[in-house]
Amino acid sequence: MSTAAAHTDRVDAPGAAPVLELRDVAVHFGGVKAVDGVTLTLEPGRIHGIIGPNGSGKSTLIAAITRLTRLTRGELLLDGKPIDDVAPSRLAGLGVARTFQTVRLLPDLTVRANVQIGADARAAAAGQRRTRRGWRDRLRGGGTSPAVVEAMRRTRLEGFEDFYPAEMSYGTQRRVEIARAIAMQPRLLLLDEPTAGMNQTERAEISALLQSMRSAGLCQLLVEHDVQMMIDTCDHVFAMNSGRLIAEGAPREVVQDPRVQEAYLGRRWREHARGQ
Amino acid sequence: MSGFLSTNLVLVQSTLSGLLLALSIQVPLRMGVFSFAGAGSYGIGAYGAGILVLRYEYGALPAIALTVVATAVVGLLLGLLINRLAGLYLAMATVAFDLIISVVAINGGELTGASTGLYGIIADFTTAQMVVLTLVALALVALSERGRLGRRVETVREDPELAASMGISVRRYRLAAFVASGALGGLAGAMNVLVRSTVGPLDIGFGLIVLALTMIVVGGSRSWVGAVIGAVIFTWLPDLLAVIGEWQELVYGVIVAVAAIYLPRGIHGVLADGVRWVQRKRRDRRAAAAGVVEEDEDGGVRPPEGEDLTGEGGVPLPARAGPDPAHALDQLAARPQAGS
Amino acid sequence: MQDLVSVVTLGSVYLLFALGMSLTWGTIDILNFAHGSIFMFSAFSASLVLERTTLGLLPVLLIGAAVGALMSLLIQVVAFEQIIKRARDRRTAEMQILIGGIGVAIIPLAIAQHHTQSNPFGLSASSFSVESISLGGLRITNVAALTVLLAVALWAAAALWLRRSRQGLALRSIGVDAQTAALMGVDRRRLALVTMAVAGATAGLSGILFTFSLGAMTPESGDTLLVKAFACIVLGGVGSMLGVAFGAYALAAAEVLILTQTNGSWVEAVSFGLIFLVLLVRPAGVFGRKEVRRT
Repeated sequence: MSTAAAHTDRVDAPGAAPVLELRDVAVHFGGVKAVDGVTLTLEPGRIHGIIGPNGSGKSTLIAAITRLTRLTRGELLLDGKPIDDVAPSRLAGLGVARTFQTVRLLPDLTVRANVQIGADARAAAAGQRRTRRGWRDRLRGGGTSPAVVEAMRRTRLEGFEDFYPAEMSYGTQRRVEIARAIAMQPRLLLLDEPTAGMNQTERAEISALLQSMRSAGLCQLLVEHDVQMMIDTCDHVFAMNSGRLIAEGAPREVVQDPRVQEAYLGRRWREHARGQ
Repeated sequence: MSGFLSTNLVLVQSTLSGLLLALSIQVPLRMGVFSFAGAGSYGIGAYGAGILVLRYEYGALPAIALTVVATAVVGLLLGLLINRLAGLYLAMATVAFDLIISVVAINGGELTGASTGLYGIIADFTTAQMVVLTLVALALVALSERGRLGRRVETVREDPELAASMGISVRRYRLAAFVASGALGGLAGAMNVLVRSTVGPLDIGFGLIVLALTMIVVGGSRSWVGAVIGAVIFTWLPDLLAVIGEWQELVYGVIVAVAAIYLPRGIHGVLADGVRWVQRKRRDRRAAAAGVVEEDEDGGVRPPEGEDLTGEGGVPLPARAGPDPAHALDQLAARPQAGS
Repeated sequence: MQDLVSVVTLGSVYLLFALGMSLTWGTIDILNFAHGSIFMFSAFSASLVLERTTLGLLPVLLIGAAVGALMSLLIQVVAFEQIIKRARDRRTAEMQILIGGIGVAIIPLAIAQHHTQSNPFGLSASSFSVESISLGGLRITNVAALTVLLAVALWAAAALWLRRSRQGLALRSIGVDAQTAALMGVDRRRLALVTMAVAGATAGLSGILFTFSLGAMTPESGDTLLVKAFACIVLGGVGSMLGVAFGAYALAAAEVLILTQTNGSWVEAVSFGLIFLVLLVRPAGVFGRKEVRRT
């Protein structure tokens, strides 16, 4: 059984149970309400986006979902099970993968080994459940697992296997980050500004990649500044401002929502635009 | 060979115990735990094995086994206690731990021989046994640098937050570092006291930390190879430097200072960079032979590719125009690759 | 009462030694493990000069301060600046500086050990002689009195200086990089060099006073003081001038207490135990500001 097939047997039927649910989630730092009562649902096989101006709480929300920040209030449910008190390191085993705002590759490992770390996480989680696959992977040890080959194929990294991160362009390094997350064969993929610092061509590449993974049934949550990219990539967009959800729905509609435009541009600009 | 061994027996034994001592500080360092507790474990190991043999008439191997288990447990307890400290604070807390051990040794009265230490610790311990035990420990450490475990250790050191997102329990790895450090330090101390037959408070003071650190700094902190290089150099250097005579201490100091400043990854780091350079040259030559490698604007090298990733002529945002990008990507990927 | 004099005297020795370490660690993030070596080598240099000529107290103190400042500057330029230039981030830089300091410290130690054959050396050739004076029924040596005065005066001066150059401090604490700081008119390199020179000078002064008051010093004397100074700093709280003074006198009080209550062999354990206890119970120290402590 190839890994591509392993991917497809994770496809959930449309309208299936949500992958992740946030119920009235709040994160306060002292008096600062970074996230204040967010309720949302992420479904399998869809790309969700979060937009919002700087400081609107997007990154804090990601930190809350990945359990790096303690919730002040509210509930997190992964596949219907609460994960409020699950250690951050156990999330990977539950099928949650993420990329970071900045490139975080290990400088002394080759691209192959960097991506293998993702597959290791998957294998370790499988090993804890004592499946045959886990033992086989463990015995194979240093070899390249099929998940790595597959992830590098999807991110178009073939030929880069023996390169070190410092030898590659920034855009390529970001692809390695995504490959590492894909190699975990996650159910939920969180992408924190995956195209920051990329040019238009590279952005289009990433957009295409995310969409190809959607068709494989993966649930994705994307945080991005580039609104055009969000419109082109996402199925469902959440707009945040001052720690709250102010709109959600189809990307084009959300972007045209007056509250969203106001949050981004300020009331006066909007009135000015309307006056013309 | 046997002639060499018998004339240099003391140096060989010192190399082995020095190597294990260096490993006891290098192993935690490799996991990002800046702990010098290995030197304290060495002290516990030396005194522990000495007391077991001298006062309770244990055989060499049972004494070693018992002290190694004890130092591993002490390592675990210490780890549980100070695990939440990091950086310089952790380093200094472990230095304090080491120095407390030596003060305890001075104040141990009859049991530890106070300021004179223990003498006449004679046991049935052979150099061959010492070599075997060292090799076993070395092999275990070397294994932890390979495969999945090696990658995970690397991740824990370089980026704990990334490690957590990759399903690695950083806390557990850090605790394991304390346990391994305790066991290695304990083994080093126990074996050394059994071949030397004596140990005193001065053998386990601040100088021990400096010795272990210099071995790693000069040899290299990232691999057991570095510890071997460091242990060999600093055990044999004083003999070789006898040629320079009276200034050997100074030369020794200059070597350490230069390595600490200019070679942060030690001699092993230089060797590893060299190997990587050769690998890169070979790889690039292979690619050049295939004739398709081109340079990026930013100097990065691109591997052979069929064509522009966005499909036909680089459509800026594929969802707005052109073929279905997901489809295009899969089509591209399905195409046989040139040169790979 | 005489014990109180001991506490004040010993505490002043610790304060004078720890002052420089606290200064560099609290402002420019350098925990200088060569500080003990500078302390020792300044006194050693003075003893070498005294082999040739006879000098009074003031010239000897000046020699000590000058040698200390020069060594400190040299170490900053040759070692620490190079390490900071090469280090990937601040965490690795901190570690490399600690290790580099330990490495550099071996060199002066080796020179002194070679020259003295590891025997104690003294400053008895000076025309200055240690005498006991009586103050309201309390006996104190003139060197001890001078140590107390100098320690308190230098400590106050350093605290004032820190407050005055607060702009540089503020910039440092919010992690502005050298380039931005330079644009804002702060020459970080010069500030660091000045701080290191001042720290080195106080190390030199304390080396001279320490040797005078004990009569002799061994090349290895610096190592123990180094760990004790660290104890003073963490006890008070890194970055706090009030803290280092509190730490120095509190450690001295604890040690004198142990010394008078037991046979004395546990004295050394006090500082080591204190380090452990403080880091566990109150890692920011007694006067530490939370934001100064980084893990």
